[in-house]
Amino acid sequence: MSIIEIRDLTFTYPGASEPTLKNASVVIEKGDFLAIVGNNGCGKSTLCKTLNGLIPHFIVGDMDGDVFIDGMNTKEQEIGTLACRAGYVYQDFENQIVCPTVLEDASYACLNYAMPDYEEKGKKALNVCGLSSKIDDYVWQLSGGQKHLLALAGTAALSPDILILDEPIAQLDPAHADGIYEVLKELNEKYGKTVIVIEHHTDYIVKYCKNVMLLKDGTVQWILPAKEAMRRTEELQGCNIFPPQVAIAAERMLDGGLLPREPFEKKEEILPVDVNEGTRVFAPYLKNKGPAYKQAARQDRPRDPIVDFKNVTVKYRAVKGEPPKVFDDFSLQIGKGEKIALIGSNGAGKSTMMKLMMGLIRPESGQVLLNGRPTAELPKEELGRTISMVYQNPEEMFIKDSIRKDIEYAMKVRRVEDYEKHTDELLEMFRLTDLQDRDGRLLSGGQMRRASLAIGIALQPEILLLDEPTANLDIATRREIMKTLQMLKGVTDTVVIATHDMQLVCDWAERLIVLSSGYVIADGTKEEIFADMYVRQQVGIRPPQIYDMGRALGIENPCFTIDEFMGYFRGEKYA
Amino acid sequence: MRKLSENILDKISIDFLRNQVLKNAYGNDDTVIAKLDPRILLVWYLFFGLVPWFLNDVVLLLGIFIFVALTTRAARIAPLVLFLFCIGVFSQTGYLFIVALFFGGNTETIVPLLIMTLKVAVVSLASITVFSGLDPDRLANGMLWFGCPGQLSFSISFAYRILPVLMEEFQNILLSYRLRGNPPSKNGLAGKIRYLAYQIRMIIQAFYPLMLNTAKRSRTTVEALELRGYRHSIQNPEVKKMKLAMLKVTRADLIFVCISIVWVCASFGASAAL
Amino acid sequence: MNSQNKISQSQKLMVFVLSMSLYGLATLFTELIPSFQVGIVEFSVEYFLFIPLTLAMLFDPLSAGLGAATGELVFSEIMLGQFGGLGELEKFITVTIGVYIAGRLVKNPRNRAVVAGASIFGVFIQQFMGCIVDILKVQFAVEDFEAVAGLPESVFFTEGFACLNDVLFSGILFCMLPTMFLVPKLYGKIEPLLGMKPRDEKTVLGSGGVSAKTVGICVIGFIAAVAAELLATGGFELIDWEASWAESTPAMIVAIIAAAVVALIVIGVVRSRAKVDKAA
Repeated sequence: MSIIEIRDLTFTYPGASEPTLKNASVVIEKGDFLAIVGNNGCGKSTLCKTLNGLIPHFIVGDMDGDVFIDGMNTKEQEIGTLACRAGYVYQDFENQIVCPTVLEDASYACLNYAMPDYEEKGKKALNVCGLSSKIDDYVWQLSGGQKHLLALAGTAALSPDILILDEPIAQLDPAHADGIYEVLKELNEKYGKTVIVIEHHTDYIVKYCKNVMLLKDGTVQWILPAKEAMRRTEELQGCNIFPPQVAIAAERMLDGGLLPREPFEKKEEILPVDVNEGTRVFAPYLKNKGPAYKQAARQDRPRDPIVDFKNVTVKYRAVKGEPPKVFDDFSLQIGKGEKIALIGSNGAGKSTMMKLMMGLIRPESGQVLLNGRPTAELPKEELGRTISMVYQNPEEMFIKDSIRKDIEYAMKVRRVEDYEKHTDELLEMFRLTDLQDRDGRLLSGGQMRRASLAIGIALQPEILLLDEPTANLDIATRREIMKTLQMLKGVTDTVVIATHDMQLVCDWAERLIVLSSGYVIADGTKEEIFADMYVRQQVGIRPPQIYDMGRALGIENPCFTIDEFMGYFRGEKYA
Repeated sequence: MRKLSENILDKISIDFLRNQVLKNAYGNDDTVIAKLDPRILLVWYLFFGLVPWFLNDVVLLLGIFIFVALTTRAARIAPLVLFLFCIGVFSQTGYLFIVALFFGGNTETIVPLLIMTLKVAVVSLASITVFSGLDPDRLANGMLWFGCPGQLSFSISFAYRILPVLMEEFQNILLSYRLRGNPPSKNGLAGKIRYLAYQIRMIIQAFYPLMLNTAKRSRTTVEALELRGYRHSIQNPEVKKMKLAMLKVTRADLIFVCISIVWVCASFGASAAL
Repeated sequence: MNSQNKISQSQKLMVFVLSMSLYGLATLFTELIPSFQVGIVEFSVEYFLFIPLTLAMLFDPLSAGLGAATGELVFSEIMLGQFGGLGELEKFITVTIGVYIAGRLVKNPRNRAVVAGASIFGVFIQQFMGCIVDILKVQFAVEDFEAVAGLPESVFFTEGFACLNDVLFSGILFCMLPTMFLVPKLYGKIEPLLGMKPRDEKTVLGSGGVSAKTVGICVIGFIAAVAAELLATGGFELIDWEASWAESTPAMIVAIIAAAVVALIVIGVVRSRAKVDKAA
């Protein structure tokens, strides 16, 4: 039975020259777990907003065609009736939470629609979402992942038949992301909800979703079962979606003649999409398991420390009760020229560590030395020349009304000679010359990141700190950021990145520091860290799929990239 | 002296402010005052907010002042709020007093001004007790009960939700200015004034990015409000009734009212006896 | 097409939320910025009215005005406990009117001169109304106002001076200049974020400018503000007069009991109204 039916839907936002949705038609079955994929700006969010009546009742614009929810035309229904049928969780879910405490927010919608048992409904939804222990907390006490669960609970409390989530795990570490998807799975299987997610993490699509819908330029291309959809690697890559790594590996091996053509005639049916399928496909053709190349000996030559944490203890000002300790007797050294990835779940102390280096937080006891001098004694001006930080949210870096002014600001106020010339160079380097007069906030996600990086290195600092530089980006933009990181060579040698993005870690980092509730629980190369199952479980690190694939096949050395993986299949060429 | 002033300036950072406001807003929800029925407290405020204006007896006013000071203490109000209260009261009457002297007044003006000070103090403390001491949600419901529009009670509850978010964003933007900017030196009086002017200009400029960022946010918020039935609730009297159903007068409320009455009567007795 | 030119309900709510949160946040800071006093001239940051002024000139002025007034009430008065009772209505209404009028005056937000003029005019209106109310307030509140030597003159002088001081110092530095700086900068940038079209001749409310009706509404609002303020400070003048006539403790007790009775009556009225609601 179909629960959603869209017929020839065309929608144009006021003032836009092109329609965002063009003749979209689709039927979604009841009880489906559907992923919507497509590149940025292809109309995914707009399509979802037509399902809960925001379009056409709240957002004005030209709408042609019809949307039926459970047989009812959305044009003829009240927005309230529709909202009770189709719940929506925004990508910027934080702004969707409007009450100060958890229970209040969860039951807010039920209260507004005058349901007498609103509190029970809220509690029940919180229970399903695993927040029952937080029932009396204030919203600001929650972590990012918990806030997302709360937004979901607030939506699910109305018990709508359809739940729509816009990029639910974009800002979460793997452990929290799993949590969200497990909840969704339960809602789908146990409570029979139809779940629709906008998602570009294909690992999760393969693991949890039943079907996938591809949206391109405002038109529905197809709906296919999830695994089948993931095998359409070319189409996916054409829309900036990164197919599962094993699928890409298999495809490249076919093209390179490392796998025989014959059993793989029908690529759509046979390309592996997860590790289990991969084992079946790859195992017969594996040439060797031994080291294909010698593992680079870990260079242990001591580097000069540039940052030195000496027995640092940090407490935060508490709102109530005892001030919580973030760090207790924390010691760590960062050497000159190191490329460090800082890993840990949300709230492990990554940003506190960065703020300590910037001298923004003063330790309760102990000290942080920057080039041998305590940060507390350094004037801010000098600190700004030595160390620079790029926030997770690039919008907070833009303080002027054009990127050019933002980039030159720090140099201008410090009266750097030739600052104009240097700004030109930076704009050129980050390919922003054409955009230099635009306001940073109005740029696309990738452009915003590039601009924020350019601002960060304007003063040519010795150390650059990056907080989640690839969060919320689609695959093309992430690649672009990786390239940009390579360009930093020669400008800034020491770079510290706090991230959940293991692909970034594998491709770029030389040293990994794993933080867990204020302690360094592991510190070493990626080979060492990923092999340590205890640490992996503790922090919820998830290496790229290709790494697990290599392990599953029994390859001795870890594979971090597809190229490394393919190395083990070389030898015989298949025509 | 210079050390001291720098120390104070250091303390009054945005972070400190944020902490104090949060403390005041959320940190005292387990006090005796916070647990009282908001309607009772609002009526209590009506009494202590109005009656002192018509009393002119120093002893009586002093008695009432001590009482509201005690309730303020019971409500565990953040130090910053108390500091603001002191500044407010002092500047209000101190200012008038000096000007009155300037225009040919004499020391006799002091007594009415002392009475005035006490009046202002009692009224302010009563308002601090009720409005800062109460849980935002309960306060909103209490006001709703007294017929305030639903929009106001929503605004209160929303303000408490959005404040930490806004503060953090504002703090980060100011941080961008601080790290990339180059403030003038603080040496000498002229330098101090220049520094202060720089700071204020920075705060004003910071509102440009803040306005744009908040605009981005508020779009989602308003859409979500619509989906979650905000407009529906404003129009539906049923919802109001449900919200108010949770308000209940308990024994603690009655005890609080009794203590208040007894104390006021005792103050009267004292003032009559003296 | 009509529906697109009109400012929809949702957009009004957006402007309200925006104005409330931003101005509310700003009032938290202005409470804390120290003031300098050189002789009688006070250099204080009275308020950051530039925020609602800017929004009023770019979007719906009434929502911006109401939002700002609510923001101040909620953030600085209620959160910091600086609530002054019914008297706060005065500031609420004057801020709304000032911002509203300033917003209505601007037809083309890119015209800096008009923006500057409108913003300073808005501030002046707000301050002037506040000043009148303040003078009336002191006159009512202080017993034997005329009898205290030098008091009437000092009140007239200080209030008048404070008003002028605020308009010239805070008004120019913290309202006019920032508004002039912000409005043209934000114009065309902030509107798409809220999903609206920038203000032009077509989208400006009604005929634009200040009509007789607008003035009428503002005057009524102002009278309400004065009434509220006087009610707040001098509502019990009668009892007070009674008390000074008796000049004894019993009279004060009468006053207290009367106040308590009034409080109880208020509860009774509200209660019975609630019952009527329930019955309905």
